[in-house]
Amino acid sequence: MEAVAALERDAELMLRVREGDETSFALLLERHRAPVVHFLYRMVQNQAVSEELAQEVFLRVYRSRATYEPTAKFTTWLFRIATHLALNWIRDGKKEKSQESLNEELLDGAERQVPDRQPTVEQELLYAVKLNEVRRAIETLPEKQRAAVMMHKYEELDYAQIAKALRCSESAVKSLLFRAYETLRSRLAHMA
Amino acid sequence: MRCMKQSQDGARILIEYCAGALDPMHAAEVERHLESCTDCRALVERQTELWEALDCWKAPQVSADFDARLYARIAREQAAPSWKKWARRIFEPAVPAPFWKPLASLAAAGAVLAIGLMIQTTPHPARTPQVHADQVDIEQVAKALDDLDILAPANSM
Ligand SMILES: [Zn+2]
Repeated sequence: MEAVAALERDAELMLRVREGDETSFALLLERHRAPVVHFLYRMVQNQAVSEELAQEVFLRVYRSRATYEPTAKFTTWLFRIATHLALNWIRDGKKEKSQESLNEELLDGAERQVPDRQPTVEQELLYAVKLNEVRRAIETLPEKQRAAVMMHKYEELDYAQIAKALRCSESAVKSLLFRAYETLRSRLAHMA
Repeated sequence: MRCMKQSQDGARILIEYCAGALDPMHAAEVERHLESCTDCRALVERQTELWEALDCWKAPQVSADFDARLYARIAREQAAPSWKKWARRIFEPAVPAPFWKPLASLAAAGAVLAIGLMIQTTPHPARTPQVHADQVDIEQVAKALDDLDILAPANSM
């Protein structure tokens, strides 16, 4: 019920954007900015690149406002654009160029994620190692499996939405996820 | 009950159970099976551990100037020369997919044909550098088509 209400709200906002209401675009941005950036961040593993790609997603949404028809879930559409841009970026081999900032980001990330208010150096390092292993394990998944896991685990999209974002069938999504989790379980088994 | 772990469908249900995505009735069914099956219990345990490991990866906060940068890009686009806006209109789905998709394919076919003719009619001395440029053009046509498809879903999904 809540999901239906959210769908209607997004569609309603987008229809207002179509009529030229800029405030509604700002509201849509507010609602979806973080999920889109976070999804892209986990796909490309670089904050600057993820924000650049997310801007492209919202730019494309804005550009297509005149032709928007509320026949699809707005979120699905967003993630379809985001997935397309992320996969293109990965396939273009741009990933290597952005690797230099990874170590720095990892340590920043560890600092951010230690729950204690003043983490010890040891705690921070432990988190950095754990985080690094998770990121590496995800990074080595085939790109479609990776995208499916990111949408399923972190963005909580359902099979139908993931299928549309990846342009495949729901049963293909189920099998992508099954294989991905199987791989991740074996790669990260030692962390437990 | 047959061991769930043995079939892909059963294992998928176990994964959904770990993600908390099953309705109470199905979750109870899974729990009944888990009581008597050590193999499935082990899988659930490992999947739960994986779920927790993945939870440790939080994404960073979005930069404070994200919106400002986006609006600046939008403003730049809107101030662009009219031919650019016209070009953009072509690459935006102005009509629902069933109408524009064949049109787009036709346009792409035309573009490829035109490129082909250009290669044919280009004088010899220019051929070597020209070949590279034409390859890029074909790639761009393919990419533009891909982009068109991506912009379509609001109408076609
Ligand atoms: Zn079993």
